Amino acid sequence: MDASDAPPAVRLEGITKRFGDVVANDGVDFALEKGSVHALLGENGSGKTTLMSVLYGLYDQDAGTICVDGEPRTFDSPRDAMDAGVGMIHQHFQLVDPMTVLQNVILGHEPTENGLVDEATAREDVAAISSRYDFDVGRHLDARVRDLDLGIRQRVEIVKSLYRGAEVLVLDEPTAVLTPQEVERLFDVMAELTAAGRSLVFITHKLDEALTAADRVTVLRDGEVVDTVAAADTTERELARMMVGREVLFDREPRETAPGDPVLDAEGLRVRGDRGVERVRGVDCTVREGEILGVAGVQGNGQTELVEAITGLRPVAAGTVRLRGGDVTGASRRRRIEEGIAYVPEDRQAEGLVQDYDLVRNALLGNQTVEPYVNRHVVDWAAARDHAEDIVREYDVQPPNPRARAGSLSGGNQQKFVVGREIAHDPDVMVASHPTRGVDIGSIEFIHDRLLALRDEGLAILFVSSKLEEIRKLSDRVAVMYEGEFVDTVDAERVTDEELGLLMAGRGRDGDEPADEVAERATDGSGGVSP
Amino acid sequence: MSVTDYAAENRVRVGSAAALVVLVAAAAVALDLLVEAIVTVGFVERALQAATPIALAAIGGLYAEKSGVFNIGLEGFMVFGAANAAAVTWLLGGGSPSQADLWLAILAAVLISVAYAVVFAVLTVRYEADQIVAGLAVWFVGLGFGPFTAVVLWGSRNSPSIASVNDLTVPVLSAVPVVGRILFDASPLVLLTAVLAVAAWVVLYRTRYGYWIQAAGENPEALDTAGVNVARVRYAAVIFSGAMAGLGGAVLLAHAGSFIGTGDTMVNGRGWIGIVAYLFGSYNPLGAAAAALLFGGLDMLQIQFQTAGIDLPNRLVNLFPYVAVVVVLTFWGSTRMPAAVGEPYESEE
Amino acid sequence: MSDADPGRARAAVDRAADRMLDASVLQRVVVATASTALALLVGLAVVAAAGYDPLLFLGNVFEGAFGDENALARTLKFATLFILTGVAVAVAFRAGVFNIGVQGQFVVGGVVCVVAILRLAPALPTGTAGGVALLVLGTAAAALAGGAYAALPGVLKAYAGANEIITTIMLNFIAVGVVGYLVEGPLRGEGNRAPNTERIPEYVELPAVAFDSPDFSVVGLAVALAVVAVVSVVMTRTDVGYDMVTSGHQERAATYSGVDAARTVVATMTLSGMIAGIAGAVFAVMVQGYYSDPSGVGTYGFDAIAVSLLAANNPLGVVPAGLLFGALDSAGTHIGINSDVPVQLIDGIVGLVVLFVAAPELFRVVAPRAGFGGDDR
Repeated sequence: MDASDAPPAVRLEGITKRFGDVVANDGVDFALEKGSVHALLGENGSGKTTLMSVLYGLYDQDAGTICVDGEPRTFDSPRDAMDAGVGMIHQHFQLVDPMTVLQNVILGHEPTENGLVDEATAREDVAAISSRYDFDVGRHLDARVRDLDLGIRQRVEIVKSLYRGAEVLVLDEPTAVLTPQEVERLFDVMAELTAAGRSLVFITHKLDEALTAADRVTVLRDGEVVDTVAAADTTERELARMMVGREVLFDREPRETAPGDPVLDAEGLRVRGDRGVERVRGVDCTVREGEILGVAGVQGNGQTELVEAITGLRPVAAGTVRLRGGDVTGASRRRRIEEGIAYVPEDRQAEGLVQDYDLVRNALLGNQTVEPYVNRHVVDWAAARDHAEDIVREYDVQPPNPRARAGSLSGGNQQKFVVGREIAHDPDVMVASHPTRGVDIGSIEFIHDRLLALRDEGLAILFVSSKLEEIRKLSDRVAVMYEGEFVDTVDAERVTDEELGLLMAGRGRDGDEPADEVAERATDGSGGVSP
Repeated sequence: MSVTDYAAENRVRVGSAAALVVLVAAAAVALDLLVEAIVTVGFVERALQAATPIALAAIGGLYAEKSGVFNIGLEGFMVFGAANAAAVTWLLGGGSPSQADLWLAILAAVLISVAYAVVFAVLTVRYEADQIVAGLAVWFVGLGFGPFTAVVLWGSRNSPSIASVNDLTVPVLSAVPVVGRILFDASPLVLLTAVLAVAAWVVLYRTRYGYWIQAAGENPEALDTAGVNVARVRYAAVIFSGAMAGLGGAVLLAHAGSFIGTGDTMVNGRGWIGIVAYLFGSYNPLGAAAAALLFGGLDMLQIQFQTAGIDLPNRLVNLFPYVAVVVVLTFWGSTRMPAAVGEPYESEE
Repeated sequence: MSDADPGRARAAVDRAADRMLDASVLQRVVVATASTALALLVGLAVVAAAGYDPLLFLGNVFEGAFGDENALARTLKFATLFILTGVAVAVAFRAGVFNIGVQGQFVVGGVVCVVAILRLAPALPTGTAGGVALLVLGTAAAALAGGAYAALPGVLKAYAGANEIITTIMLNFIAVGVVGYLVEGPLRGEGNRAPNTERIPEYVELPAVAFDSPDFSVVGLAVALAVVAVVSVVMTRTDVGYDMVTSGHQERAATYSGVDAARTVVATMTLSGMIAGIAGAVFAVMVQGYYSDPSGVGTYGFDAIAVSLLAANNPLGVVPAGLLFGALDSAGTHIGINSDVPVQLIDGIVGLVVLFVAAPELFRVVAPRAGFGGDDR
C-alpha cells in the first residue's frame, strides 16, 4: 500500500454536506487505495451513506472535492459517477423484480441490433463477468429477480455494476439482509474483486465485519471522521469506542424479580407468508409474567409472520395461541387488543402511526374500542388529547406538541410515542418487534430501560430483534429462530455471541444434538461476553 | 415474453377463457340455439370491428400503466378522438367527404389527442396530479367538450351521417371462403390494429424502450440509477396512451360513420372496458387484444340474437359487455399491478 | 355548548384549533377556488374561440344562477341533489374507496322509491299522514336499494380484489340499462306514451314552504343538510368514522389498530350507496314525481365526484361545493334556453375543475405561497 506510487482510487477531501440545519458530513477526508477494501464504520445517522451518496452523484456536496484516479471530478448524477467507474450497491436493491437477471444487468446499457435488444451478445458478456469472479449468477440469467434469494440478488447488483464498467464499488450495508453463510460468500466475492484490482468501500455498523473484510477502517461519528486505522492494528473494543465516543456497555444488569406464571402460550404454530409459503413451521413458545423472551435470528426467518400470528394480523395455519389460558387463535386483531396484547410493530411508519394524523389522532389508534377514549361509539377527543399529552410528557417525545403531525417526527420520537401508547393499554403481553430499529442511541437506551422496568412490574414481553447485543442485554431467555423454527431456547445470562451466531445459522454447536442438550451446554458456557 | 411463456404464466387465465368458450358452446347446443346463426362470418367481422377501438385503447393504457402512470382517462381520450375525427372530416369534406378526408381526419384526431395527452402527462408526471382524479377529469372534460363540439358544428349532440371507412378488399384472396372475408375483405383499421398490437408487443418485450417502460413502472429508482430519465419514459408512455385511445375513438367513428354525443356518447364505456381488457390480458398487448375481441364479440351478440330469432330486449342484451367486465374482474381482478403505479417519481438530483 | 360544561367547551376549542392548525384546510380552499376560477377562465376562452361573446355568457351565468326567484329555486334544487350525491361520494373517497357508481345507486334508489310508494299507497290512508308515511317508507326503500347496489362492488373489491372504479362504472351502465328496460316495459304506467312509471299520488310530496317552484322544496334541502350533519358527525366523532378515515389514509395502520379492512370497505360502500339512494328518492319525489328513462335524468352522480373532490372529500365542504355546482347547472339550464352557447360547455368546465383540483402542485408551483406548506412530501 504505497500511496506515493499510484493515486488512490478515490480521494475525498473536506466534504461537507448539509440538509437544512443538519450537518450530515463535516469536512470529511477519505482515501480509498486501489485494490483494497475500505470499511466505513459508524452508527445509523453518522453520515456514512450521505458521504457515499455524494461520491455517487446523488447529492451535491456543499464543500470539498472528489478525485477519482487522481483526477478531480464533479458528479451531477449517478450516471456521471458510473461513467467515471464508480458503482454503488444500495441497501434496497435497484432491481426490477419481474424482469430477468439478464435484463436487469443490462438495463440502461442494452446492446442493440436492428433496434432490438441483442440478447445473445448481452448474455455472453454477462456470463463472462459472472464466471470470471465465480459469482454463480450465470445460471440464473433467465430467472426473474423476484424468484431469487437475497444473496443472489446482491451478486446480480454487483455484476450489474461491473457490466457498467465499475472500478470502484460502494457497498451500502450489504450484510444487513444476508444469512451468515451468505455473508461469508459475500466476503469471498469481495476478495475476488480486490484481487482483480477493483477497489471497494464497505459501509457497515458491524465491528466484526469491518475487521474481517476490510483492509482499512474509517470511523464516522456525527458526520465527522474520528479516525482511519488499519484493520490489522485495531480491536472491536477500540472501534466501538470510536463509534459512540465512550465505552459501550452491553452488560446486563442483574434482575431482582423472578418470572411468574405463563401469560402467552403458542403451541405448534404454523403460519404462511404472503406468498403462501409456510414461514413459521411449528413453533412452541411461552412467555411468563415478568419475563422477556427474546427472539433472535437473521431477518426473514419467520419472525415477522410469528409476531403477526400472535398479534392477530395474520391467520394461523395450525396450532394454538393462548392468552392466560384462553384460546385466542381465531380471535380478531381487535379482540386481541382488548384482551391485552399490545404490539410495537416492526414497521412503525406504515403500521404504528398514521403519518398524516397528529399525535392526538394517533393516540386513538388501536384504542377505538377502549374507554374512556370511545364511549358507545362516540370518540372523546378531549380524552384522546390528554392521552397524547401524557405520552408525550412521559416518553419525552420531541417536539412536545400533541398537535404535531406524526410524519414530521424523527424515527426515535415516533417510536417512543408508539411504545408509550402501547404500554398505556395496560396489557398482559407486549410484543415488541425491532423496537429500536432506526432509532437514535438516546432513544434506544430510553426504550430499553422502559422495557426492563415493565418487565419488573410483571409484564410478559416477547421481544424480537436481529441485534444480538440488545437481545442479550434485555432477554431472560433467548429463542433463536431459523427457517421458521425455534432451533433452541437458551439462557441469555450464559450464552455467548458465538453460540448465538451458530444457532442463528441453523446449527447447534456440534451438529445434530438434541436441542435440550445444547441448551444445557449453553447454560454451562463460560459466559464470556465478547465486546 | 413469448406467446408460450404468456400461456404458461397465465395457465389459469387461458384455461378458464377456453373453458368459458366451451361452456357457452355447450349451453348453446343444449338449449338448441342456432349456433350457425349466431357465429357467422359477419359476426366475426363485426366482432373484430367492435374490438378494434377497445384494443387500441387497451394497448395504449397498458403502456402508460406499465410505465407507472394509471391512465384512467382512456374513455375521455376516446371521446375526444371520436368527436375530433368527426369534426375534422366534416370541416374537410362537409356532408360528402372522401375517404382521404376521413383518413386525414383520423390522423388529425390522433394529433389532437397527443396534444391533450401532453397536458395530461405534464399534470401527472411533472405536477404529480392524483392519477385517478386527473383521469376521471379527462373523462368529464371529454363528456363535456365532445358534445360541445358537436353542438357548435351541427347544432345537435349528434352529427349527421358523415362517412365510414371502406373495406380493404384484396382481389383473389378475398374470395377464399371465411378467412378471405375476415382478413382480406375487412376494415383496414382492423388490420392496422392487428399490426399495432404485434408492434406494441415487440417494442415492450424486445427493445430497450420496452425494458425502460417496464422498469419505470416497477422500480423507477433502478432505472434512474441506470442513467435513464424516468420522467421522459413516462411522458412517452402516457402520450402514447393518449394517442392510442384517441385513435381508438377515431376508429370507432370511422366504423360508425357519424358521431353520437348523447348520454355517455358513442364511446359508451369502451375506454373503461379497454382498461379491463389489458388487466385481463395481464398487461400483454396481445393478451389485451384478445380480451378486447371477447368484449367486442359480446357487444355484437345483439344483432346475432335478432337474426337468430332470439327475443331478448335490446337494452338488456346491450349490457352483456358490462356484465362480462364485472365477472372478469371478480374472477381475475387481483392482477398484480406494476409496483410503482400511481407514485410520482422524483429523481434525487 | 355552554361554559358550564368545560369538557365540551374544551372539545370545541380543540376542534377549532384542529382546523386552524390544519394548514391543509386553508390550502385546499385556496386550491379549490383557484381551480374553479381557472376552469371558468378556460371555459370563457372556449366560448370566445367558438365565436360567442364571453362577457354576455358570463352575464347569462349569473343571471341563470341567481337572477330571480325562479333561478334561485333552480340553483337550490340542483344544489340539494349535488350536496346529497356529493356527500355519498365524499364518504367513500374519504375512506379510500373510489365509488364512481353513485350515479347507478342514485338511479336504483330513485326507481325503487317510486315503485315502493306506488305499491304501498293502496295499503295506506290517503292525505298528509299517509303521504308522510309513504315518503319515509319510499326513502327507506331507496336507501336500502342504493346501499345494496353499492355493497355489491364493495364485496367484490374486499373479497375478490376487483377494482371498484371499474366495477362501479360498469354497474352504472347496468343500472341505467336495466331500469331503462323496466320503465319501457314492465314498470311502464298504463297508457303512458313516454317510457315512464305511473305518477306517485299527489299527496306524496315535499311541501314547497318558501319558493313557489314545482320541483324544489326547502324540505329537500333540509334533508340534504341533515344528511351532511349526520355524516360529518359520524366521520369525525365516532369510532366507525375513525376506522373508515384511517383506512383511507393508511390501510396498514388501520389493520394494525384492529380495523377489519374488508368489512370496512363493504360498510363504506354501503353507507355511500345508501346516501346515493336517498338522493335518488329526493330526486324522484321532489323533482319528478314518477320515474323515467334513467339515461335522461341528469348526471348528478358523476358531477358529485367533482363536488366531493372540490370539497377535498370533506362532508361539510360539500355544502359550498354543491351550491357552486348547483349554480353552474342552473346557469346551464338558463343558457340552454336563452342563448345559443351549448350547455355542454358547463360539463366541460366541471371536468376542468376536477382536473385542476387533481394537481394542487400546479398552483404550488405557479403561485408559490409561503406559509401553506403543510402537506409537502
